[in-house]
Amino acid sequence: MTVPAVPVRTFPTMGTVVSLRGADAETAARVRAVFAGYDHRYSRYDPASVLSRVAAGTLRLADTPEEVRDVYALALTWRDRTAGAFTPHRPDGTIDLSGVVKALAVRDAGVLLDAVSPDWMLSAGGDVLVRGTHDGAPWRVGVVDPDRRDALADVVQLDAPRRAVATSGTAERGEHVWRRSVPTFAQVTVVADDIVTADVLATAVLAGDETDLARTTADGTVDVLAFGVDGRAWATPGLAARSCSRMGA
Amino acid sequence: MRARAVLGGVLSSVAVLVIGWQVGGQTATTASPPTSTSDTSGSGTSGSGTSGTDASGSGTSGSGTSGTSGSAASGSTASGTFLGAVAQTRYGPVQVRIVVSDGTITDVTAPQLTDADGRSVAISAQAAPVLRQEALQAQSAQIQAVSGATFTSEGYTTSLQSAIDQAGL
Repeated sequence: MTVPAVPVRTFPTMGTVVSLRGADAETAARVRAVFAGYDHRYSRYDPASVLSRVAAGTLRLADTPEEVRDVYALALTWRDRTAGAFTPHRPDGTIDLSGVVKALAVRDAGVLLDAVSPDWMLSAGGDVLVRGTHDGAPWRVGVVDPDRRDALADVVQLDAPRRAVATSGTAERGEHVWRRSVPTFAQVTVVADDIVTADVLATAVLAGDETDLARTTADGTVDVLAFGVDGRAWATPGLAARSCSRMGA
Repeated sequence: MRARAVLGGVLSSVAVLVIGWQVGGQTATTASPPTSTSDTSGSGTSGSGTSGTDASGSGTSGSGTSGTSGSAASGSTASGTFLGAVAQTRYGPVQVRIVVSDGTITDVTAPQLTDADGRSVAISAQAAPVLRQEALQAQSAQIQAVSGATFTSEGYTTSLQSAIDQAGL
């Protein structure tokens, strides 16, 4: 595929900015529509969204579109798999699926992109999904230093099947994670095969403690880089192996 | 806009921070705490108060005096100085600036600007040299995306992701 004159396309959505490489204008427009669709249904900032009306009590969950209920069911599955560290419920009991919809939009956009390009990269506010390579080399993603937003703590390579990386932290948007314990972590990065797993587990570990980290990393299906509020850091061997700074490549 | 960026190229009081930390190699074990040390000597030296010059010690970075962009259309072979989008702050316009040589980031700075009264204002300047140090040591800081706590659409304009997008690395 010919590299377009402007190789990176960006657009604002879901309160952040998406950066897209490897897509032509038409595909980029369809990707944008995917994000707009999720935002329209699930935004808790838009009082007219499906989920806002459910929270307001003007729309019953049972009367929502099937796909909304499917997403809620998916979120509940993740709540169980993370022993409650990830939850689709606000402390006030209302449903908030913002912890998963951005990743779902990235996932669905990735399906679109897979159909048109062997090499692409999609980042939605730091949730990154890639396919193939960048000029023949693995895609490389910098992990932000949790204390300094314009510095990198690490650089990781993404090789299939580990195509996704997501980071949860408290630095940029403030404390938007509903913690269930005294904070242990300031920032958690998860590398996984799919973006929903990466995003949900990053959120879950950030909301939890070292027990949650141990459980998340026990089966070896994800790589984790975590920074504690006390200055400690944790990394799985897989993360260390794909760390470019460590390899000195 | 570019003219303001030239003014922003003035590097002063930029503390070079060195991360003496690497990812640990054991199974989810605790690594050493990331330590940040002020270091005003060595390869990552930034000139204090040096006006309009690129204080990078790499010898390969592009001129820091230019606010112009290099060619961004050639993918990983891009060279030049690239500026992130301008964000208006109470300190005036702010841009992240990176210097690229053959697709490799050789220098990155958060330009330090002056406010309306002419006083210099430090804005996240202390952070940039970490990437500089990494780039100069490993010559491998070719990254296409940045993963961190989700930035807002406003925060994007001053983010590393913005500068990288502009460069098309």
